Amino acid sequence: MITYIGRRFLWIIPVLFVVSIITFSLMHAVPGGPWDREKKLPDATVARLNAKYGLDDPIYIQYVTWAGKFLQGDLGPSYRYIDRSVNDIVADGIWTTVQLGVMAFLLSVIVGIPLGIFAALGHNRGPDYLSTSISIVGIATPSFVLAMLLIVFFAVNLGWFPTGGWKGPQYWVLPTIALAGFPIAVIARYTRASMLEVTRKDFIRTAHSKGLSDQAVVSRHMIRNALIPVVTILGPTLAFLVTGSFIIETIFGIPGIGRFYVTAIGTRDYGLLMAMTMLYAFAVAFLNVVVDVLYAYIDPRIRYS
Amino acid sequence: MRKRLFGIMASAAIIAAACSGATTSSAPAVSTEPGASAAPATPAPSVSDMADEQILRIDLGNEPPTLDPTQAQDSTSISVLHAISRPLVYLDKDLKAVPAIAESWDVSADGKTITFHLRDANYSNGEPIVAGDAVYSWKRLVDPRTAAPYSYVTAEIVGAPELLDMAGADPAPTDAEIEAALANLGVAAPDDKTFVVSLNTPATYFVTAATLWVFAPIQEKWITSPGATEAANYVGSGPFNLDTWDHNSQIILKPNPEYFGDQPKLSEIQMTMTAEPAQAQAAFEAGELDMVSPPTEDIRRITDDPILGPQVLQTPQFGITYYDFNNGNGLDRCADLKVCPTANKEFRAALSQAIDKQSFIDATFSGVGVVANSMVMPGIPGYLGPDYNPYPFDVTAAQAHMATALSEIGVASVADLPKLKIGFNTGSGHETKVAFMAEAWRQAFGLETEQVGSEWSVFLQQRTAGEYDISRDGWGADYPHANNQLGGIFTCGGGNNNSQTCIPEVDALLAQAAAEADQDKQEELYKQAEAMIFDAASALQLRFSIATYEVAPYVAGITQTGSDSQLPGDQFFETIYILKH
Repeated sequence: MITYIGRRFLWIIPVLFVVSIITFSLMHAVPGGPWDREKKLPDATVARLNAKYGLDDPIYIQYVTWAGKFLQGDLGPSYRYIDRSVNDIVADGIWTTVQLGVMAFLLSVIVGIPLGIFAALGHNRGPDYLSTSISIVGIATPSFVLAMLLIVFFAVNLGWFPTGGWKGPQYWVLPTIALAGFPIAVIARYTRASMLEVTRKDFIRTAHSKGLSDQAVVSRHMIRNALIPVVTILGPTLAFLVTGSFIIETIFGIPGIGRFYVTAIGTRDYGLLMAMTMLYAFAVAFLNVVVDVLYAYIDPRIRYS
Repeated sequence: MRKRLFGIMASAAIIAAACSGATTSSAPAVSTEPGASAAPATPAPSVSDMADEQILRIDLGNEPPTLDPTQAQDSTSISVLHAISRPLVYLDKDLKAVPAIAESWDVSADGKTITFHLRDANYSNGEPIVAGDAVYSWKRLVDPRTAAPYSYVTAEIVGAPELLDMAGADPAPTDAEIEAALANLGVAAPDDKTFVVSLNTPATYFVTAATLWVFAPIQEKWITSPGATEAANYVGSGPFNLDTWDHNSQIILKPNPEYFGDQPKLSEIQMTMTAEPAQAQAAFEAGELDMVSPPTEDIRRITDDPILGPQVLQTPQFGITYYDFNNGNGLDRCADLKVCPTANKEFRAALSQAIDKQSFIDATFSGVGVVANSMVMPGIPGYLGPDYNPYPFDVTAAQAHMATALSEIGVASVADLPKLKIGFNTGSGHETKVAFMAEAWRQAFGLETEQVGSEWSVFLQQRTAGEYDISRDGWGADYPHANNQLGGIFTCGGGNNNSQTCIPEVDALLAQAAAEADQDKQEELYKQAEAMIFDAASALQLRFSIATYEVAPYVAGITQTGSDSQLPGDQFFETIYILKH
């Protein structure tokens, strides 16, 4: 068991290595560079900047340089925010992003799972239709639409919350809801489907025939079993949420790192782009392993060796 | 997502000319014509009108990429730098160069030596600003090891061209070579209060250019210290201090007690960083911001709104929207006009005359803007004026030009031409503008075009390489001089010559103009050159910018200029105050 877990975690290293090579090559294969401006910089200045940052070296040399520094924990300079290093930028924003992600994750679990259970228990009746409608709207509404609706309604019209920023608990509410909208819907759908499947299982019929109360059957047998597939998607969902959302952070003006996923590409801020990609890849790989390990605890039928 | 990082022409900072003159207004004003004064000046504030809390809340849009004056090049950074840093000379509200750190200056008889006399002024850390700091910061600006984006503005200084050339030299120059060249740079500090600049030519505009943020004197020991631009360490010289810089969240400025001029009226400026304009707009409507630059698509709704409408403030800016025709100079494929019809002058003339510029502005800029028939902006010497237009909108005349063009190219009809590629960058609202042009040309000539939208950097590369037949373009004046609007954009092989234009007579006229000491003669030469560029239909000028802002009614004392970089009055935050409300 321990060796299995250890092996799984070690596998993350080659995964990250491959991700870094692919990203590094793709990023440099895209035309343009960090010094592109509407008003062109003089060629001499661009040449000088490239020399200063080593961007005139062959790609493989640049990769080795980057990888060497990365292993020592140095993420390099930012080409866009020239006063600052990528380490500074990431360190500044990551906890805000993680905080928002964790809050949205908890909200989506707390709302999504009961919503799914509620739907399954009222299968093909009112509760199911209500829950399904909520989920469909949640899945179909892009987060920026939800975010703008929340801003217009709760911030501009009602004035209950600020429209954006990140200065205290009242600033957390709208972004958390906006970010959780989609995962709530997905988790509710998974939970519902999984619950319905479990309902038809033999052991549920057995439990009923043993004379257990409905409540006991649902809480002790159905929900526990139904949650196994749900846990599978919780890993990637958490990875997605804690590494930040470009849209939500941009719309609410949140000082996290999520917005850099997109802006770093547009500005060809290579160092920042690599850092973001590695962070996301690590989060996804790591949490997937965690989820696999959790299976063993949730489901006694699963054993690793 | 709309990205404003490199927004159209307004993104590069504008230090521009006295076009509208400046207006000091508390009342929202609407001006549609550059040259027209936007609003009457308001009387000086009386203390009883002023609110107890003098806090201004504005939005920067984005995190400033840097607050190092030497390295800054974008409107966000410059907007903050205007408040916390001052050069030797600064522009006044009429955009004339006036004393700042220097209390006066003398220009030698030959116009080649400028001597600045510094006043007794201190940095925000209480230490005196000395001429040696100006020598240091000017050398740092041109030093190839700094690789400063705006280093080229030093080009007139003795010894600067050699240093600018060194930047791209291969093999790279050694430190010793650079130090030797820096020692020859025409800047000197004979004493702490005197700063002397030697120029290669009597550059009449140099004092105006010296008002740019990059020329601010800075302390070497400050800028070379770690984390120099962080709020805790910042050493500035402007009316405000950098009090707080929460990256990607907010900047707070407070008055700088060491500032040499009058103390600002505001006790605090809060600058948030909201990347999404729609959110900033919502924050303004919710009363969280006092000033905002609304999203273009909201402008009609806002101006029609009974409450928001009166808060709209529109002001001419020194920016121009234009389209490049590919004139084909230096491109192999353009040797064959059948492949590259825009290399034919008659063809370009036909395309130019088929566009109704006013309709273009109405349809794609919510009607905000002024028809442009000149590259040099109104108010800058060299502006051609509204009357000169060899290619006014006239479809019949356009079709006649097209008929001539087709026979010169040697094809029977436009159907025999390849589909012309119109290049633009996606995601910045250019889609509708390109569609307008394409449709106008289709209706006038039956000309089919392919609208090629690309990601920003890709677009820039392809435009520079001349891969489009037509491409969108924009320019904002760096300093109020025709040299900045024509040189480099239309000179053979110029760095921003995206239309691949090459007219040797134009180059000769521009060179002659740059060296002309007599301002009237110089202006005449620029006008001649510009008319020549216009006659050749090298590019299609469309619109001079008008910026739209919303300002809360209690914000007063705004000193608007044509060179505001992001928000109205952001060159003079020190004159703004808050009324009781």
